[in-house]
Amino acid sequence: MTSRYAKRLQKELLDLKTNPPPCISITEGDNLDKWVIAVDGTEGSIYQGEHFKLQFKFSSGYPLDSPEVIFIGTPPIHPHIYSNGHICLSILYDNWSPALTVSSVCLSILSMLSGCTEKIRPTDDSKYVSRVLNKSPKEVRWMFHDDTV
Amino acid sequence: MKVTIKSIWNTVSAWHWDVNEECCGICRMAFDGCCVDCKIPGDDCPPVWGVCNHAFHMHCILKWLNANELQQCPMCRSEWRFKSDEK
Repeated sequence: MTSRYAKRLQKELLDLKTNPPPCISITEGDNLDKWVIAVDGTEGSIYQGEHFKLQFKFSSGYPLDSPEVIFIGTPPIHPHIYSNGHICLSILYDNWSPALTVSSVCLSILSMLSGCTEKIRPTDDSKYVSRVLNKSPKEVRWMFHDDTV
Repeated sequence: MKVTIKSIWNTVSAWHWDVNEECCGICRMAFDGCCVDCKIPGDDCPPVWGVCNHAFHMHCILKWLNANELQQCPMCRSEWRFKSDEK
């Protein structure tokens, strides 16, 4: 990436490698465009013992532009996570702030998982997945209505 | 008048911005350095404060505000207004 903000990403990468938050570890971060982060279900949550993978893609506008964040592999079964890995979480789209970091985004997703009490897919999962196909979740118009989980 | 120089003084001075945080929350570069678009730290790349007392490099917060309809502080999401009196 030729971003002028590459230094910020390099700092974040170093920080994630040397001082990762609990249940989060970076598995692929060799280039600055795309990272893969392993997320473990927290102890005591319904996802305990499960392992997930988050993919972050950064545009040259990061951090003014939000990263594209999706689950790859098998996504957790959660009312706000679609089976194609897209995550309905406002800070990834309309409520993005350049003060957020990869680490804080991971923690938000982890807390979204930890607060969940029932493993169910979003009610419109199949409709959504067939509609968006391979589009980036950043191109989708999201409606945020449920802040209980 | 005859002047005898007894010793030669070296003068050294240092400056820093009077900011509580060490680095800008947007570019994560030091305030005493400069934003990613500038080369020379100092008056040309100053920190600015919002009324919420959060500080950013002037260039960084302007880029953020120009790119967004919502004029919010990146740190606390309160409506961004520049603090008028210089700290």
